Amino acid sequence: MSGALPDGFGDLETWVDEWSLATQNARWDKRLASSKEEITAFYEAVSPRVEAILDHADGFALGALPEDSERLYDLALMVAEIAPNVELYQGDPNVPYSFEERRFIAVHGESEH
Amino acid sequence: MCAARVQEQRWASKYPWLGTGPVSSEPCISPSVFEQEVEKVFKRVWLCMGRVEEFPEPGCYKLKQLDFASAGVLLIRGKDGVIRAFHNVCSHRGNTVVVPEGEWDNFGKKGMFSCRFHAWSYNDKGELVGVQNQDCFHAEFCKEDNGLTPIRCEVWEGFVFINFAEDPDVGLQEYLGDMGQHFTGYPYHELTYQHTYYTYLNCNWKIGVDAFAEAYHVNTIHAGSFPGTFSTGLQMVKLLGDHRTTAICFNPPRDGPPMATLSQTRARGSLVNNVNGTTLPPTINDESRDDFSFELSVFFPNWLLHVAEGIWFTHQFWPISHDKCLWEGKYYTRAPTTHSERWAMEAAVCLQRNAWLEDTATMEGTFYALRSGAKKQLHLQDEEILVRHGYHVLDKYLDSEA
Repeated sequence: MSGALPDGFGDLETWVDEWSLATQNARWDKRLASSKEEITAFYEAVSPRVEAILDHADGFALGALPEDSERLYDLALMVAEIAPNVELYQGDPNVPYSFEERRFIAVHGESEH
Repeated sequence: MCAARVQEQRWASKYPWLGTGPVSSEPCISPSVFEQEVEKVFKRVWLCMGRVEEFPEPGCYKLKQLDFASAGVLLIRGKDGVIRAFHNVCSHRGNTVVVPEGEWDNFGKKGMFSCRFHAWSYNDKGELVGVQNQDCFHAEFCKEDNGLTPIRCEVWEGFVFINFAEDPDVGLQEYLGDMGQHFTGYPYHELTYQHTYYTYLNCNWKIGVDAFAEAYHVNTIHAGSFPGTFSTGLQMVKLLGDHRTTAICFNPPRDGPPMATLSQTRARGSLVNNVNGTTLPPTINDESRDDFSFELSVFFPNWLLHVAEGIWFTHQFWPISHDKCLWEGKYYTRAPTTHSERWAMEAAVCLQRNAWLEDTATMEGTFYALRSGAKKQLHLQDEEILVRHGYHVLDKYLDSEA
């Protein structure tokens, strides 16, 4: 049950394997490796649930999520990563007219907190 | 005269001594100008090296390579709480004391700093305290005279500055002058939740600084991430000594995107909304504009400090050669206390990172194109007065004696 989510969020379990990622670097890489159709489908499925995910996560102290809630919360962080692309860049998985994204180094990129 | 003047030129009127003509493109591409910049600017003025919070305990150190000076700068917090700066060079035969790893700053904590070559060791004050086989050295050698070579280091508002000059023209307070006063009192030390990006850019350092020192580019460069957001023109421009600052104001989007809107209800993380708050000192937005978003400033030569309600961020461009520089972008908010707040800050940082990806997109292309020599002059409009002032100040330094 490595992909199990808390009660009430079982419908999102299908997204966990590929989209529940613990670091900003992993989420950033996932976006860059995805198509417009893939990020749009993920956004349409998960973004309407972000508010409920955050309310759920706020039932725990910061940094003290149980494993299933952590998986769920990482889905919300993935929405934060791809939301500008869907909402502002017409679904382009890259930032349009930008510097080469992989040349930006995020010092915090491997942190899980 | 080719162009009709269509509106009052606010900043040229306020600062007529800057002139209005085009500026030379030569300083952006010339290797010989770069050599002069190193000697007359970067080795003479105060340079921001980081924050005191980067050194939470005695023995904490930061090693930063500054290639323009061929220097590794070792900053150490002593047991007495003082942060000192040294050249990372052993007094014996010149080996690096802390061996740099990777392509960026090194951080750590040590009780003693030992050179790997022959195990000479230095304490938290840079004093030489251990020499292996000291009895074998000759009478001319004196341990007390052979500490690490110090670099002048002073702190303002928690920002650690160094000056490579043995006898700087002015101290840090005087160097910052009215600009230091303008930015004093902001709670930098409370807003320490930090996200940092860096990259090495194949362009002259000033092309980077200049790209961030105006808002004329916003409607084009940020049509993606900040559509129609910051297009009211500069406000409250102040040229303060060698430094410059302006307010950037805000057009609230009619319908914000859903996730961005949600993030704004959960935490103060993004510039793209207005809030009331208490973090800004009275010198910032002194006209009390309702549409104030953030203060954009350039501390000569290479550091940009921006403050907003509950958010501050910096850009820094470190010259490496005339055609290469290191960019560092750092974004700070209050540390989140809930998962909601943390998510909202992640959303804000992702959008800000994307905006910086848009900003940096033009820099290498600009440099490559200018190197052709096709354009000897750059035309600056009234809203680019901070860029104009930058070249004015640079000229002053380059015209001075080394």
